[in-house]
Amino acid sequence: MITTARIGLIAVFVALGLFFTFVSATGVIRLPDVFSRAHTASQADTLGAGFALAAVALTIGWGPTAVKTVLLLFFIFVTNPTAAHAIARAAYEEGVEPWTRGDERR
Amino acid sequence: MSSDRLDGDTNGIARQRPMYTESQVIMTTVKAVIPFVLTYGLFITFHGTSSPGGGFQGGALVASVVLMIAFAFGIESTREWLSNSLVVGLGTVGVAIFAGIALVPMALGENFLDYTAYYPVLGDTLGLKEYEFVKYGMEAVEIGGIAFIVSGVLMGLFFALAAGVTPPSGTASDAAEASDSDGETDVDDGETAGDTATEAGENE
Repeated sequence: MITTARIGLIAVFVALGLFFTFVSATGVIRLPDVFSRAHTASQADTLGAGFALAAVALTIGWGPTAVKTVLLLFFIFVTNPTAAHAIARAAYEEGVEPWTRGDERR
Repeated sequence: MSSDRLDGDTNGIARQRPMYTESQVIMTTVKAVIPFVLTYGLFITFHGTSSPGGGFQGGALVASVVLMIAFAFGIESTREWLSNSLVVGLGTVGVAIFAGIALVPMALGENFLDYTAYYPVLGDTLGLKEYEFVKYGMEAVEIGGIAFIVSGVLMGLFFALAAGVTPPSGTASDAAEASDSDGETDVDDGETAGDTATEAGENE
């Protein structure tokens, strides 16, 4: 019973991680400018990697490796948005203007 | 839009950048993350012989700590804080340790990098078996050699890149000098990188 629930949860986490990673990749290809691409690369990718790592931690079970995986999860949650913030900030300071409706893709 | 700005730059003078202002978000994250990254880099370095990792990866992580500090608190202030001789010295000391460990066995009549040559000399003093010298010798090369070289060269390259590319008028002589020193070792690259970094820093 518990094993079934665990396997089901792992499957759900992997599926969610795949979904968010796919959304992130689509956004990086399809969105028009630096700011929106940085936004999708950080937000959706944080969730994608987060769910994938949670699935990994569940698969491994309780132990040192699972603790390392959770630490990795924590650091991805901290550093990924900061990286996106740094990219967007650098682009803004360089004078890149945000895309508005009607502009060309950049 | 942006191509106009780029066209304006082609007169050979570096574009005036706005004054760098620190970001509270980046500074806080870097402060929180740096101790873990440094510990992880040393962990990777020390475990190079018995598990995945090694001097190269660990040295790169240690250098990335300096890169993060530079990104968060300003590159120029980091360059002043981390003296140029320290960056160059890391690479130089690394090569010296590597060459020392590698060449002493040759002086003792064995092959280059043959760690077992240390056994007759140091075996009783350190109380180690012959096969343990292979492990600890490799460890010494990883830690004292490769990790130092990689971290020093990466920091030097970063500061050289951050100082900016020299204007087209100066590149001809620079390129000639660079091609002269092509056949030399990594440390020399680090040294020239550091030197250009200071020169460019003084120009500003």
